Amino acid sequence: MNVDEAKVILIEVIESALEGKATVSEDMQLIGGDTLLDSMKLVEVCLALEDIADERGFEFIWNSEAAMSKSRSMFRTVTTLAEEFSSQSEG
Amino acid sequence: MIVVTGASRGLGEAICHRLLEKDERVVGLARSANALEFEGISCDVGDYQSVKSAARQIRKIGERVDAVINAAGVASMNLAVTTDEATVQKVIQTNLVGTIFCCQLFAPILLRQKSGAFINFSTIAVALALKGESVYAASKAGVEAFSKTFAREMADFNVKVNCIAPGPIRTDLLRGITDAQIEKITSQQVISRQFEKSDVCDVVELLIDAKASSLSGQVFHIGGV
Repeated sequence: MNVDEAKVILIEVIESALEGKATVSEDMQLIGGDTLLDSMKLVEVCLALEDIADERGFEFIWNSEAAMSKSRSMFRTVTTLAEEFSSQSEG
Repeated sequence: MIVVTGASRGLGEAICHRLLEKDERVVGLARSANALEFEGISCDVGDYQSVKSAARQIRKIGERVDAVINAAGVASMNLAVTTDEATVQKVIQTNLVGTIFCCQLFAPILLRQKSGAFINFSTIAVALALKGESVYAASKAGVEAFSKTFAREMADFNVKVNCIAPGPIRTDLLRGITDAQIEKITSQQVISRQFEKSDVCDVVELLIDAKASSLSGQVFHIGGV
C-alpha cells in the first residue's frame, strides 16, 4: 500500500471517529494541544487501522514506545501516521 | 466467552468450574494449559509477548468476550527485609504487571465490542496493612489503583473494571498459615469468618451479570473491611 492510499484510508477512519464533525487534512495534528482527537478517539482510530491491516494481511503495531513519544511519534500528523501505516503494510 | 487467567489452580480454577457449571464458554489461561480439564491457552501473564499471543488467539476465536478475570497471582508471606530480590520481582511482575498486561492487551477486544468486564484481584492485606505481606500488598495495592483508573479509561466504551479483594481463602496461597493467624485476620473483617472459594465465585457471577452494569471502579472486599 502506498502512502497516498494509506492517507485516504486514514482520513476516512478519522472522519468516522469524529462522527463527521470535522474535515480532516493531511497536516492535521493527531496528538498534542491542538488535536481534535482525544486519547480514547485515537485508540478508536488505531483499532480501526488494526482491523484494516488484519483484512490486508499485516499486523499494525501502534503501541510501541516510539509511537507514543511526541517528538518521534507516528501520531504527529495524518501524513506521518499514513507513512507509518504504509511502511508496516510493506513489512 | 469468559477468559480467566490463573486457571490451573486456586481461585482461578474454582471460577472456571463455576462458570462452566453455568454453561458459559470459558477459556482458561495458565502456564501449563495442557493440564487444564477445559479449554485453555498457555500463557505467562508476566510475559508481554505471551499475553499478546494469548489475546491474538482469543480474538481469532471470534466470539464475544463477556469478561476477562485476572485471577493469576502469587503470594509472599515474609517481612520485607527477609524477602529476596527474585521473590520481590516475581510478586510484582505476576500480580501487578501481569494484571496490567492482560488488561492492556485484552482491552482492544472489549473496546471493539463496546461491552464487557474486567475483574481484577486485590487482597484484604491492602486494607489491613497486614504484617508479613508487605510485598504482596504492594503488588495488589497497585492492582487496585490501576483498576480504579483503568475503569475511568474504559467507561466511555461501556467496559466495566472492578476488583475483588478476598480475605484468607483456603488455597495454596495460604500454605503454612495457621488457624490462629487466619482468625487474627478475619476478626478484623465486618463479617468475622473465613470465606470459601465459592463465596468469591458468587461475587464474580454478580459482577459479570448485566444487573451489575452500574458498578465500575470499585473494590469489593469479601467479608467487608
